[in-house]
Amino acid sequence: MWRIISFISGLAVIVVLLFRYRITMRTTIDLTSKVAVIGLWRAGMQNLTALSRDALTLAFKMLWHNQPRLLLTVLGVGVAFFLAAAQFGLLVGWTNTNSALIRHANVDLWVMAEQTPAFDYGTAIPRQRIHQALSVPGVEWAEGLFMGWEIWQRGDGRRVNVELVGLDKSNVGGPWAMRDGKLGCVHVAHQVIVDELYLGPLGVKQVGENFEMIGERTVVGGISQGVRTFTASPFIFTSIEQAIRIDKRYHAEEITYALVRCAPGADVAAVQQEMRKRIAHVEVLTSNEFAVRSAKYWMLETGVGITVVITAVLGLGVGVVITSQTLFAITQDHLPNYATLLALGFRRSSLVVMVLVQSLTLGVCGVVAGSALFFSAVLASARTPIPLETTPLVYAGLVAVSLLSCLVASVMSLRSIFKIDPVSVFRL
Amino acid sequence: MSTVLECRKLAKHYGEGDLAEPVLREVTLHVQRGEACVLIGPSGSGKTTLLSILGCLLTPSGGELHIAGERVNFGSLRALGELRRTRLGFVFQHAQLLPFLSVEENLRVVGRNAGLERVALNGRINMLMQRLGLEAMRGKKPDKLSGGQRQRVAIARAMLHEPSILLADEPTAALDWHNGENVVDMLIAQAREARAALIVVTHDTRLLPKFDRVLSIADGCVKETPTLKPHAN
Ligand SMILES: Nc1ncnc2c1ncn2[C@@H]1O[C@H](COP(=O)(O)OP(=O)(O)OP(=O)(O)O)[C@@H](O)[C@H]1O
Ligand SMILES: [Mg+2]
Repeated sequence: MWRIISFISGLAVIVVLLFRYRITMRTTIDLTSKVAVIGLWRAGMQNLTALSRDALTLAFKMLWHNQPRLLLTVLGVGVAFFLAAAQFGLLVGWTNTNSALIRHANVDLWVMAEQTPAFDYGTAIPRQRIHQALSVPGVEWAEGLFMGWEIWQRGDGRRVNVELVGLDKSNVGGPWAMRDGKLGCVHVAHQVIVDELYLGPLGVKQVGENFEMIGERTVVGGISQGVRTFTASPFIFTSIEQAIRIDKRYHAEEITYALVRCAPGADVAAVQQEMRKRIAHVEVLTSNEFAVRSAKYWMLETGVGITVVITAVLGLGVGVVITSQTLFAITQDHLPNYATLLALGFRRSSLVVMVLVQSLTLGVCGVVAGSALFFSAVLASARTPIPLETTPLVYAGLVAVSLLSCLVASVMSLRSIFKIDPVSVFRL
Repeated sequence: MSTVLECRKLAKHYGEGDLAEPVLREVTLHVQRGEACVLIGPSGSGKTTLLSILGCLLTPSGGELHIAGERVNFGSLRALGELRRTRLGFVFQHAQLLPFLSVEENLRVVGRNAGLERVALNGRINMLMQRLGLEAMRGKKPDKLSGGQRQRVAIARAMLHEPSILLADEPTAALDWHNGENVVDMLIAQAREARAALIVVTHDTRLLPKFDRVLSIADGCVKETPTLKPHAN
């Protein structure tokens, strides 16, 4: 029991470490998948040449022989895979959510107060930083962005914490898709944009309704699409000037972030270096660095990520157990048949191939069933505040790990195959 | 006639040292092509043990086994497998067909494993099905057949690759007299036609007159018993 727990926590630690160092994760997955592909290909060739294709037929027919068991196993493995996929889907969805504004701003560099842990926790810097940034060679464009926590008062008097984002002239850092109204409305007096996903919590029904934020009159001027929040406090967009009027902690000449775009062909890393030298008391991060930092903050510092990863690992573990149990039961049921095959001169390697093929078949069917569940869930959750999302890399990794663990699940069965003495056919 | 099966002083004991229990002491035996032999003996006398050694499934503790003039190398699992695949045919007490394959598939899989080409295999299957009266059962799963039918499929499976030696351990034990007799008749007919040496273990003395030779095993040795065959030469 303790071994299992330490094994699982060990795995979780490895996964977390891999997550911390993304590059390592990428190379690891790359390497593992390469090794797996080469291994499978070799096994495949061997099995086509040295072992007859009958091993495949026998393996499938043996599985098919007990259809209810096959169905239940595939369902079980499918649900287990779905569990793991859904957990990673949450992880990817959340990671996308808490870096969405950063990525959609589509700028090269972010200038911010030192030690800003995540987008949601930026603090004030002088507006002057924009001009300082603009004076760095290679910089083409720079504007500000405001970000602050405020209180939204609904018509029924209930108060809701919100994240207010103030946009500069070009509206960079704002919503990327609008359902109603125009993005530019944020510059009209009192107007704000709210997202369609949070109309309920904010008590908004339509454009034109009046609310209050920290005593300031607020009019819904537009409704955006797909701007999720990870903190449960919805994003509200307005202009920097109106944001500062609402947020009494900021002075008129302050912003939270300076957003910088480099001239075409400029070396972003060099510009970043130069900017760090020239502007004191700020951090200069590339968009990607800031997105990773925000995601890491929410996923690792808050422990959310670890919980999710542990559940995912448990899901995979359940899949392994189900596969290994069924496979073992099938192998045990068919031991006399395996012994007969050996006695009739079938090679033991053919029997090994049979077990491995069965194991992979259970795995593949499970993955297919689980994927059907998962992608339905992805579709169903696409327009909700908590989406399941995935990336090709994450999904391929998950599938690879699932199939590899199916092979692990065949260990017990293979042991019993290796123990069969064909002489037992005379004593069955 | 040529000797296809030859044992020289075969011995077998189970267990080691003081616990060693000798089952076969000194079995010397020559069987010719096309000869039908029956092996009898009391329970526990070592019939199955001897058949297992002759079938290259069990390594003897001493002595030599020659099949078709070549000494069997019990040290090489590969060589033993090769012999079983190509030279030997087996019929077990319970047919031991693969339950998840149809009758025809059962034959096909074993035939292919023995290295038969497609056309030759089809020919053999058709011929054996017809001879053994199995044509109507081609597509059936073994659990839909009677015991006698299953045993006939087992004979077809054993004869597919025209083995030089056909070994059967109590093939009639699970059958009634009529079906048992039928199965033994077919075994003998098939073996004779393929000029295979046949060794059948049975407890049923009524079957003995059907065989060319009667071998009896006692005290770890095999002795020839005068045949009861009515038209023996
Ligand atoms: N694997 C084994 N380990 C130890 N002893 C064994 C083993 N197999 C068989 N024996 C012993 O060897 C002896 C001969 O067994 P065997 O099965 O060859 O007899 P048999 O003549 O076929 O008997 P039956 O007519 O009952 O089938 C028996 O005393 C049996 O207990
Ligand atoms: Mg016996």
